[in-house]
Amino acid sequence: MDKHMNQATPAAQAGRTRALRLAGIALWLLGLLIPQLLSPAWITIGGIFAIYSIVALSQDIVLGRAGMYDMGHAVYFGIGAYVSAILSLSFNWPILWTIPVAIVLAAALGAILSAPIVKLRGDYLLVVTIGFNAIFVLAMQNNLFGLTGGADGLFGISGPSLFGHMFGTQSDLFYLNWVVLAVVLWLMNNLDRSSLGRTFRYIKHDELAATTLGVNARNYKVAAFALSAGLAGLAGTLFAMQLSAVSPGSFRFTDSVVLFAIVLVGGQASVPGVLLGTAMMFVVPQIFTEFAQYRYLAFGVAMILVMILRPQGIWPARKGVI
Amino acid sequence: MNTAVSQQPDAGVLLELDGIGISFGGLRAVDDLSFKIRRGEIVGLIGPNGAGKTTVFNMITGVYRPTDGRIRWHGRDITGLAPHRIAEAGIRRTFQTIRLFQDMTVLENVIAGQHLKMRQSWWQGLLNTPAQRREERELVEHAMEVLQKLDLADVAHEIATSLPYGAQRRVEMARTLVAKPELIILDEPAAGLNEQESAGLNDTIRAIRDAGITVILVEHDMSVVMNVTDNIVVINFGKKIAEGKPAEIRSNPLVIEAYLGQDDEEEDDPLLNAVHDQVNA
Repeated sequence: MDKHMNQATPAAQAGRTRALRLAGIALWLLGLLIPQLLSPAWITIGGIFAIYSIVALSQDIVLGRAGMYDMGHAVYFGIGAYVSAILSLSFNWPILWTIPVAIVLAAALGAILSAPIVKLRGDYLLVVTIGFNAIFVLAMQNNLFGLTGGADGLFGISGPSLFGHMFGTQSDLFYLNWVVLAVVLWLMNNLDRSSLGRTFRYIKHDELAATTLGVNARNYKVAAFALSAGLAGLAGTLFAMQLSAVSPGSFRFTDSVVLFAIVLVGGQASVPGVLLGTAMMFVVPQIFTEFAQYRYLAFGVAMILVMILRPQGIWPARKGVI
Repeated sequence: MNTAVSQQPDAGVLLELDGIGISFGGLRAVDDLSFKIRRGEIVGLIGPNGAGKTTVFNMITGVYRPTDGRIRWHGRDITGLAPHRIAEAGIRRTFQTIRLFQDMTVLENVIAGQHLKMRQSWWQGLLNTPAQRREERELVEHAMEVLQKLDLADVAHEIATSLPYGAQRRVEMARTLVAKPELIILDEPAAGLNEQESAGLNDTIRAIRDAGITVILVEHDMSVVMNVTDNIVVINFGKKIAEGKPAEIRSNPLVIEAYLGQDDEEEDDPLLNAVHDQVNA
């Protein structure tokens, strides 16, 4: 099968990419109709899907593109959510203004935490990132600086407002999340076509070869973490708005595991794959609400089957961009 | 003795290895090795299996840090610099076992060689600015020029690791050449090539030198070493045992002994066969 993929002419590949992109845009536009067509429950599910898609895509930058086993990604998602919640509740910032702060602080934390550890081999790095996650949850539970609200978290975050108008309904939030998702998808598309994204992949495939070509692997790995954490932080703000509450329970180690698994099951470095994985985890269970408690069971079985039968993921990344 | 004169950088010397050595555990892999490479030369580094040739390359390119000695580049000490700093200095290499970026096209592999020329910043890439798009087009054009020269233009959009072995070797070479390095280090460029391909390799190596790039190569294929090199350094057990022109090396008794001391499995070695002929004559 790989042979056939390789033998596709550049023109045919480009045509397929274009078709795929058009299909993606069509699906996104169709998604805009969700608030008109579906029940309130589904509007919320759509918004949650958009938020977790952004987090999973950001996880994929570190894991799928740069090839580092980050199993503490919920930390950056959580930092974004907490920063927005704290600025909004304790300092009365309008929530939309907190977005840049959430992104920058999450990215900075990603850079600071990753800088000493990116030299570690995959499995060792994975264990360290699990440690980060454990510490993060513990710090939030213990009401760090008296700001994080302890085990119950923070409540009553008000919705976004622009020019004095509140945009607090589930439909409003859905549109906001949906538009931000589009922006993130556009960024991911650009990333894959840029020197930055290519360099991540060079490092993933052969770090030694990359360094002998002049790549400062350490800097790029830290950059991958920072970029990835920044996007996760952005999703964190959206999450805080969506639920109007944040608590340590949303950013545990198991949440990081789910993000990690979404990327592996969906397809590393594959945008459609990661979106599909997110949908399997957060949307499909809602269709079978009476079985919702079996969500992890179903996803667990899916993980096992995919890893055995299709280790490259359900929708693997296309080999070669240019 | 006039020390002032002896400390003057030797005219034309590009790279100088000055008594370098490295140990792995108790094993002395390379010991007190010194030689110089002059601009425009093609230098061969040969020796029996396990003599430490690739280790020497790894020390030059910063993959290993020598435990003794200095490596000078244009008279400047570059000992122990990280590989990406060595690349910045203008030294590029290929690998004994081909190290192409799998799942990426030939073009993407070759563009990697232009990493240090890249001017686009991270945000320009993310926002896909016009300046970034222009640079991307230039990177592709430049890579295609090099691919054209190495007869790889037709496969530019193929996945690099799906190509035949000989073509993969050329892709790796293209990836180093696209950076216009001053020195290129080829680690067994003929390994795995058929006769026709290794004959073509001789022409390629000469063309590289004619383009103003100095070449140092490790090679077992004596038809390549004896035909293209200006100078040969022979090492055995990590030590230099001979240095000179190909003709001198061919008749050097120490070299003959080093190769004769080898197991029978080396009998197909053309140098060894030549040595046998001379001994029997």
